[in-house]
Amino acid sequence: MAVRGRRAGHRDYDSKKKRKEAEIQQALSSDPIDVATLRRMAISEGGLLTDEIRRKVWPKLLNVNTDDLPLPPGKELREDNKDYQQVLLDVRRSLRRFPPGMPDEQREGLQEDLIDIILHVLKRNPQLHYYQGYHDIVVTFLLVVGNRLATALVEKLSTHHLRDFMDPTMDNTKHILNYLMPIIDQVNPEVHDFMQSAEVGTIFALSWLITWFGHVLSDMRQVVRLYDFFLACHPLMPIYFAAVIVLHREQEVLDCECDMASVHHLLSQIPQDLPYETLISQAGDLFVQFPPSELAREARQHAERMAASTFKDFELASAQQRPDMVLRQRFWDRLRGEERTKSVLTKPRTNRLVKLAVMGLTVALGAAALAVVKSALEWAPKFELQIFP
Amino acid sequence: MMAAAAELESSLELSLGGGAGPGGLPPARSRIFKIIVIGDSNVGKTCLTYRFCAGRFPQRTEATIGVDFRERAVTIDGERIKIQLWDTAGQERFRKSMVQHYYRNVHAVVFVYDMTNLASFQSLPSWIEECKQHLLANDIPRILVGNKCDLRNAIQVPTDLAQKFADTHSMPLFETSAKSPNDNDHVEAIFMTLAHKLKSHKPLMLSQPPGSGEMHLKPEPKPAMTCWC
Repeated sequence: MAVRGRRAGHRDYDSKKKRKEAEIQQALSSDPIDVATLRRMAISEGGLLTDEIRRKVWPKLLNVNTDDLPLPPGKELREDNKDYQQVLLDVRRSLRRFPPGMPDEQREGLQEDLIDIILHVLKRNPQLHYYQGYHDIVVTFLLVVGNRLATALVEKLSTHHLRDFMDPTMDNTKHILNYLMPIIDQVNPEVHDFMQSAEVGTIFALSWLITWFGHVLSDMRQVVRLYDFFLACHPLMPIYFAAVIVLHREQEVLDCECDMASVHHLLSQIPQDLPYETLISQAGDLFVQFPPSELAREARQHAERMAASTFKDFELASAQQRPDMVLRQRFWDRLRGEERTKSVLTKPRTNRLVKLAVMGLTVALGAAALAVVKSALEWAPKFELQIFP
Repeated sequence: MMAAAAELESSLELSLGGGAGPGGLPPARSRIFKIIVIGDSNVGKTCLTYRFCAGRFPQRTEATIGVDFRERAVTIDGERIKIQLWDTAGQERFRKSMVQHYYRNVHAVVFVYDMTNLASFQSLPSWIEECKQHLLANDIPRILVGNKCDLRNAIQVPTDLAQKFADTHSMPLFETSAKSPNDNDHVEAIFMTLAHKLKSHKPLMLSQPPGSGEMHLKPEPKPAMTCWC
């Protein structure tokens, strides 16, 4: 009976997978390409299913034209590049990110490609700064889509989703980490208060955020599943996902000794058997219930003097008139306006201990998921704005 | 892939497991020495801390992103002490806004350079300066560790140069290898020397409320190999 049950379950999964594949193909072949559907597919259960599909869909999610890919970067990039030494050190040590059975020679070739891609993107975008962990993101793209396409995708990603991490300083990264505790507080104040009294800080989640979990997850399938999700969503989604992981481990956290070292250690060791699909769905729900604009004020209180300097950075950067900067500027302007209204109202914290309601992101992707998708457009390459007028 | 993470994790499990008292009693609360390990990228901070906490050289390590934490319980003169090592990222951008939280309540600082990389030695003044900015107390013990001394043919930082620098900054110098611990100063001995120094130096953070009044510590004899002046 058990066997039959398993077979039935398998059949069910297979047919679901087939259906999803067909839907993705249809979205890809419609004219214009149905990017909204592709986003939904990337978020919903199982993500984009195979690397073959990812090679087709990831460029669409990032609005990268695959007909006009840059030539593979050449070796001349390595001469007088200020980041070369650091990149070299990090890539040489990143053995863990390559499939375990891969022959050394092949791996070494890929490591050279990895160095070239990183230096190429940095060279073409002098406003971007390399950080340790960037290589963990780039290697994922290299392994999934190959050298040339990876170069184009990573460049787009670096000027959008990863842009904040690549500032001259990590102040903006720190600012994003400051969203973590307010999100946790909204769902489970007890965990929040415990972590505050342990003074654990948020650095345990730093590598999660800036590598999109590539640095800490062992199974490449889990990594690419998360990349499907993050590529389709708002750039702050990884911090919601980080919060969901902490909340998922609520009992372990509360059972821990209430000091910085114990809690930091517990949280920085990420379990390898997390229920990813459930957590993805929860992260999406949290995003809808507590969108970044709502959390911004609390994050700022958490950060104290962060906000002013951050905003100044934005103003300075937008002076360069890069398109992504203009988009971001609009976002921040609106956000500031909203905050002004809110601080007048001084809303009491009525929503403490809100239960995580799973709104069915995994099954049907209703209105909630649409909101996630829609909000992604704030930051997404602008071509899609006509889809959601 | 998982092996590396699991391996690193085991160093702590090992030490936490060893902390349980006999007969199922909760372990007596022990004092904690918090030590921060800093220095340029790739000088071997992770390998040194891992060597001390897990007793061996890790098979492969990756760039540390942010701050990692390792711990080991030791017994000094019959007293159980937890040595916490905070292993930090080497890249400069992480220092400025990320790491300072972890300087809090630090009892000692270990500066590490790579003996086969002159640049890592030359950036020591900036690490020392940075450390000064974060630590209010001036009398926190600091030591200087030159790592990778087993790579004899590649040494770029001669001992006399390093010793002179250490003297100028009133720090003891150790030359060692996390990989091949029989070379020069044993990693174990370095951290234990530091622990002895801390134990004899002044009262440290207690993980139990003080008040038993029985914390009279015998001053440690100075280890012959170092100079703390």
